[in-house]
Order: sequence, then structure tokens, then C-alpha cells
Amino acid sequence: MISYLVALLTFGAIYALLALGLNLMWGIAGMVNLGILGYYALGGYSSALLTMHLGIPVWLGVIAGALITALFGAATCIGLVKLRDDYLAIVTLGFAEVMRNIAENFVSLTNGTDGLAQIPRPRLGVTGSDFNVVYLVICVMVVLVVLAAMERLRAAPFGRVLRALRADPMVAASAGKNVLGFQVRTLAVGGFVLGLGGALYAHYLTYISPEVFQPQLMIYVFLALILGGRGNNYGAVLGTVLVLAIVEGTRFLADLVHGLDAVQIGALRAFVIGVAFIVVLQKRPHGLLPEPRRIYTDPAARS
Amino acid sequence: MLQVFQLLVNGVMAGAILAVPAIGFNIVFAVLQISNFSIAALIAVGAYAGYTANVLLGLPPLLAILAAFLISGAAGVASDRLALRPLRGYGAIAVAIASLALNMVLENIVRFIFGNDVRSLDVPMMRDWIFEGIHVGPQAVFNFLVAIAAMVALFSLLSFTTVGRAMRAVADNPTLANIKGIDPEKMARLAVFLGMGMAGIAGVLLALDTAVDPTIGMRVVLSVFAAAVLGGLGSIPGAVVGGLLIGLAEQLSTLVVPVAYSSAIGFAAIILALLLFPRGILGDR
Amino acid sequence: MTLAASSGRARAAMAGSIRIGALLPLTGAGGPFGPSMAALHKQIVDQVNAAGGIEGQRVEYSFEDDQTNPDAAVLGVRKLIDVNKVCAVMGLWSSGVAAPTLPICAENKVVMVAIAASDSLALQKHDGYFFRSNVDVGQQGEAIGNWALKQGGKSLFGLLAQNPFSEPMRLGLVNTIQPKGMKAETIVYDGRRTDFRAEVGQALQAKPDILFLGGYPQDSIIIMKEVFRAGYGGKIVGTGTCVTQQFLDGVGKQVSEGIYTVRPSSAVGSPAYKNLQKLTGKTDLDTNVCQSYDQINLVLLAIAQAKQATGTAVRDNMRKIGDPNGEKVDNVLDGLKLIAAGKSINYEGAASPCKFTPTGNLVSAIFETLRVADGKLTPG
Repeated sequence: MISYLVALLTFGAIYALLALGLNLMWGIAGMVNLGILGYYALGGYSSALLTMHLGIPVWLGVIAGALITALFGAATCIGLVKLRDDYLAIVTLGFAEVMRNIAENFVSLTNGTDGLAQIPRPRLGVTGSDFNVVYLVICVMVVLVVLAAMERLRAAPFGRVLRALRADPMVAASAGKNVLGFQVRTLAVGGFVLGLGGALYAHYLTYISPEVFQPQLMIYVFLALILGGRGNNYGAVLGTVLVLAIVEGTRFLADLVHGLDAVQIGALRAFVIGVAFIVVLQKRPHGLLPEPRRIYTDPAARS
Repeated sequence: MLQVFQLLVNGVMAGAILAVPAIGFNIVFAVLQISNFSIAALIAVGAYAGYTANVLLGLPPLLAILAAFLISGAAGVASDRLALRPLRGYGAIAVAIASLALNMVLENIVRFIFGNDVRSLDVPMMRDWIFEGIHVGPQAVFNFLVAIAAMVALFSLLSFTTVGRAMRAVADNPTLANIKGIDPEKMARLAVFLGMGMAGIAGVLLALDTAVDPTIGMRVVLSVFAAAVLGGLGSIPGAVVGGLLIGLAEQLSTLVVPVAYSSAIGFAAIILALLLFPRGILGDR
Repeated sequence: MTLAASSGRARAAMAGSIRIGALLPLTGAGGPFGPSMAALHKQIVDQVNAAGGIEGQRVEYSFEDDQTNPDAAVLGVRKLIDVNKVCAVMGLWSSGVAAPTLPICAENKVVMVAIAASDSLALQKHDGYFFRSNVDVGQQGEAIGNWALKQGGKSLFGLLAQNPFSEPMRLGLVNTIQPKGMKAETIVYDGRRTDFRAEVGQALQAKPDILFLGGYPQDSIIIMKEVFRAGYGGKIVGTGTCVTQQFLDGVGKQVSEGIYTVRPSSAVGSPAYKNLQKLTGKTDLDTNVCQSYDQINLVLLAIAQAKQATGTAVRDNMRKIGDPNGEKVDNVLDGLKLIAAGKSINYEGAASPCKFTPTGNLVSAIFETLRVADGKLTPG
């Protein structure tokens, strides 16, 4: 049971980075992005290729992968800022599809659907299941560092401007804020976090393929954020834990079901996950940890 | 040159089929201002409703299409009522994300009942007609005509009936419509029914042309979204234009780019087009 | 650290009970294939248990849905190894699932018997814990190429779905026919779409004598319908993965008439194949089902041979149950009886003779050519 839990928590930590990156982009700055897996994959592929072909150390590859994704995030911003929410949702969904398509077909670089196998693991001085525990500890520490950084960013003037942009970009612009500049920086920082997640993923699995673009994962990350509390960084992490608990819990539930064939068990599991999400969303639409807001109460209104 | 004409014909045929669910997506968006991504699963629901009517009950294709319209429409209304309506107050994106979870639920209900096996509808396989070297399939022509008929019927409903005008009034200005005594909730239900019914029709058309499996909706849905967005969200004529453009772009792109990239090409085109028209080609919202 | 290391000891302590597992796709791209494989595995385990198990021990079989996806596969295999304490993992239909789980199996000394075709798997460092029940894809391409040469046409056009099989298959095929003067063209398409008119148009424009289908049934059904509508008159050949019963049912009798398939087989009508036909009640069996049959038989027989249900024991006995001087065996029950009687056995499977190279690949493969007549595959 232990090493299963270690694996589960490692995935949890990696997915938490996705939720934190998305929280900055969408939760705080209000730019919805259904293409987060495109950034995640870019970080993973970049770090994998750099460490495999150039032989650079894994930690350097991870940072390089995150930086490449950050640059890419800033670049995508140029095409996206003019779009309204609903358009942005669909266009970014398509953006991930384009990335998947390239990962599948640009065989000379990505090795196509075969994926990149035998990606080096970092040298941690331990092997076997000890390695997995140490890697988990590293991932958790990365999440904590990112969480702290995101919290500082949110509370800083930068975060206040982003929330103003989310509320109304026009007003923010007329208040003299360089809207595009803020949005570019947001997507760059968010991209960095997503790319970091992807790189940690690639070196953990020692494998990356176009399968990283699994639509469920994107849905899970969004649900984690809504469940935890959109705009709240702690909520993003808590939501990830909850979503993973629901998703993996059904794995054990499936063992208890009898008299169904294998497809029906698979379908039932996905059905239960979906229903659980919808129910939780309906019961807690603002999430478990709603976004912290400063509430000014008008003294005159108090009677 | 012949090849280009062939691709143009194929593109228009494929585009007309794409336009049907794209209209469905946009009519829901127009009235509710919500992107309902569960349209993919409702395409699959329609395809299996058509399969049940056609293969298991032995009904002709036109009745199977009607059955799919009614069942997908009803499933759309019921699932919207249970899953999405309670969330409407919390923002369009929250509902859109919930609709992704809903999509998972609906697709797996279909999988639970029918399994993963690929099935075909019971229609005769016919050879293409060949005009001056251009291939046109009888089944494709039938599907094209059904798609056109479905679109014309929907336009007529919206343009010439009281209820259609009421629905457009809600789409234009819900508050004003409410003052005039139109029940926006009733109109929302009708919009979802019509929209998801259109998705159901598309499901059978795809099934007639290709084959049915639980992922049939997921296979086309990105092209459908692309069509809806390109034409302009909430715009019904836009969905038709968008569908045709995407259909043509996906076919014609194969002249210059390897076929494996054609699904990416459609979307890359959209991203470029939206740089010029951030609200879609015919979008006004 | 001691916590994580404890799983290995726990497994050793359970050496008495026989626990085996499978990682199968019930959803995702492999969704159409996994369920029948799981059903067959269970059926055989039930048979063995009904006959008194192995050495008096019941066999416990667990499976996990890998969703045709690496993340779900990694968690699934961790659960199988840690919670269900299996000593062997079977199934592993896609390379995307096998590639990240193989290091985990090797690290935990658990045997993996996979279908996945990616070349790189056998080349990974796996300490002998990897076995592949599937015939090398390059060899399959060569077999189809040799068949095409026999047909004597001038050109062949291949339509291959983008997946880990496509490139080795293409190379095997092209390198076989091109030097003999036959023209070979191929395109790779995205199998997740519904509209393949452009692909079929490109293929038929080349006016090939032979059209080769190298996709999964889902996309190949759609392509084949389009090929029929266009009135293509040449010969059509598909891989064993493509021309399955599902494919035949999907395209219907009219369209499938005369299609060929060249596919791996232990030998047409081998005893194991016949036994499997009886077991499933189906006359035509696709390669996945045949391989699942071999996978579970191999694992159970290796456990019986070792009288121990650990991964290392299974690994070390996998080749002993294929003793060329042993008595030929085509099903697990006979094999168990012979092993219990102290005899040496030679298991010959339904998908292949099941003899493995040191890296875990199959030594050789036999291919059969079948032709569709009246909706059924007949020796061609």
C-alpha cells in the first residue's frame, strides 16, 4: 500500500502545480485556459529532450523546461488577449489539440506516439522505492515553494492589478495599467509553473508521450481548482487532493462491484467520478476555501 | 484541378454535417450564454438512439434520425436541468467546466449500455456516383440533404413562429423579453432541446456515413467547436458559415500538409482568423 | 525509507497464495480490446480454480483499467503490485502503458507479459522481467510485404494510423517490397477522426494494385467503407489488428468480401487456437484474445513449474515450460497435470509458439493468410 500511496501523492504534487499555474492564469487574472496541458507537455518534452540529447543534469533540464514554457506562455498571450472568455475557452482547447497533433507527428523530435522512453532520473543517491520517497519529498517541496511564491504574488500589487483585470480590463486600462504587459507576465509565470510540473512528471515516469494530453486530466485540474476555491492558492492544492481522492477512491470501489463485465465496470467508474464532481460543484459552488477578499463593511449599514 | 474540385465537394458535404451540431452549440449559447461541452456525448447519444431505432427496431434512417433528435433533445434537457442549471448563477465558465464532467457521465452511460464495440447502421452500401471524374456518394448526398433540411426547419421555426421569435427575443435581451411576459426558463429549455436535438441528428448522420462507437462525439467535437467559434458564438448563420469553412479547410489543407496534421490545421486556421475577428466572422456578441 | 522497502518483504511472506494481475484498457483508444481480454483471463482462472488451483492454492486474479493512459497505468500497476501483491502483470496493450510501467515491474521483481509493440521496450533495462506475447511488428510488415510480392502487382499503397506500430510496420513492409521492384507508398493518418475522405482520395489517386490497411478497427471500418464507395477494384490486405471480427461486422458482408489479412499465428488450426475457439465460442479470434490466452497460460504454468508464486520464479521458469523435448501442451489444465506428475512440458500457444529471446521478444513467428468470404475469414 505504501508505494502505491507514494506514487499517488507524487502525481498529486505534480497535478497541484497544474492547479496552481491555472489558478494564477484563470483564478486570479481571469484568463481561462483549457490548453494547460499544452504547456505541461512542453515543459516535459523540453526537459526530457535536453537531458537526453545534451546530457545536462536533470535539475538544470527541469529549470530549462520551465523557462522555455514560460517564454512560450508569454508568446501565446499575444494571440489570446483580445478574445473574450468563451472564445478563449474554445481556442485554448484547440491549442492543446494542435500541440498534441505536433507531438504525435513530429517524429524526428518527439519520437511520435511511441513517446520518449528512458528519460534520465535525477541522481539522488538512492534507488528503488527509496528513490520514489525522496522524489516525492522533492515534489512536495517544490509545491510548497511555488505555493508560497504564488501567495506573495497574489498579495503583492501585481496580484491586485490582476484581480482588477479579471473584474474589468477596460477599467484597469483606463486606470493607466498596461493590460497586455500584465497579461504577458501572468502567462509567463503561469507557464513556468505548468512547465515545471511537466518536467517533474517526465523525469518521474522516465517516459513522456502524446498521452499526456488526456482530456480527463484537464477536467480534473479545473475541477480541483473550482472545488478548492477559485482564486485561492491553498484551495488549488486542497482541491487537487480531493479530486485525486475521488478519482482513485473509485478504483477501490470497482473491486466491490460484481456481476458486471469489464467495460461496464470501467464505465461505471467514470460515471461515478463525473457525478461526484457535479454534486460537489453544486453543493460547494464557491469551493471549500473561497477566495480571500478584503470586505469593507459600511459602518452606516450596520444597525 | 480535379483533385481540388473533389476536395471542395468533400469539404462542403463534411462542412454541412459539422454545421448541424455547431448550430446546436450556438443556439444553446445564444439563449443561455453558456458553452455546453456535453454536446459531444449528446452526439453519441443520438448515434446510439439512431442505431437502436434502425438496427434493433428495424426502422428506416429518416425515422432513426427523428428518434435521435427527440432522444438527444430530451437527454440534453434532463441533464441540463439536473447538472448544469443549479450552477448557472456561478458564472459561465463554471458551468462550462461542469459540462465537461457531464460529458463524461453521459458518454459512460452510453458505454455502460452498449459497450465499446464499433457498430454500423443497417443501410445498403452504395458505390459513388461519378460526374466528370468527381466522386459523390449517394449516402453523403442523403446526409447532406438531411443536414440542409434540419437547418431549414430550424431557421423556419426561429423566424416564422411565435415561439421562435420569443426565443430570439430572449437571446437578444432576456430582461426585456421577461418584461414582455416571455418565460426565459421555458425558452432556455426549448433552446437546449433544439440544440441537443441537432447534435443527435448529427450523431446519426455521422453513424450513417461512418460507424458508431461511444467516442463518436469526441472524434468530431473539436471541429464542431471550431466551427461554432469561427462563425461567432451564439450566431446561427455563423455556425453554418463556420461549419463550411472548417470542412473546406480540413479537406483543402491536405493538398499542402500531410493528412495527419489536418485536425491541427483546422484549429490553427481558427486562431489566425480570430486575430482578425475576435468575435467570430458573424458574431455580434 | 524502511516503509517503502517493506512491500518486497510482504510479498515474499505471501509466497503461498497465487496472485496475478492484468493492466488492460477498458476505456480510451484501447477500449474495444481490453474487455474481451479480461473476460478470457477470468475464465481461465475460474477453470484452474475449479480444477483445484495450483498445488492446492487458489489463484486470485485482479485487473485494473489503464484507460490507455500512462498516469492511470502507473497508479494501476502500483496498486496491483502493492495492494493486490501480484507476481506478474499481463495485458499491457499499448506502448504508452507498457513503457512507464516496465521500470516499476522490474524494480519490484514482477514479471510483465505485454502485447505492446514498441521496439524500445525490450531494449530497456528490465533484468529479464519483460516478455512480449506479440510478434515483432517489423516481421509483420515483412510478412505482408512477402504476400504482396506473391500477388505480383506493381504498386502498393499503405494507410497507417499514427500509433507506435506504424513506423516499424512501414519499414518492414517497404524494405521487403521496394528492393524487389514493387512501388510502395504510405500515408500516416490521425485515427481519432471520423472523416477519412482525403486520405482515401490520396491513396486511390495513386491507383495501387494493392491497398494496405494498417489501422485499428474503429478507423479502418470507416476507411474501408469509403474505399468501397469509391469503387476501388484492386486487392486489399489488412493487419491482424485491423481485420478482426469487429471490423468484419462493422463493414458488413458486401464490403468485406475478398479482403485479405496476413497475421501472426502459431499455425493455422493449432491445438491451442482450437481450444481457445471452444472456450470463447467464437470461430474467429483476434490476436489480442489469442495473446491473452498465451499470457495467462504462460504465467500459471511458470508458477506451477516453480512451485512458487514470485516474480523472480515466474521469470526463471518462463522458458522451462517451453522445453523442446517436453510434452506438447495447448492448455493450462493439461499442463498443470503434467507438471504435477513431474513431466517436462512444451507450451505452444494460440498466438505464437511462445519461445522467447533473452530480451523477452518472441523468437520466431508463423504467419497465416486469410481471405474474407461471406463475412468470415477463411484460409486464403
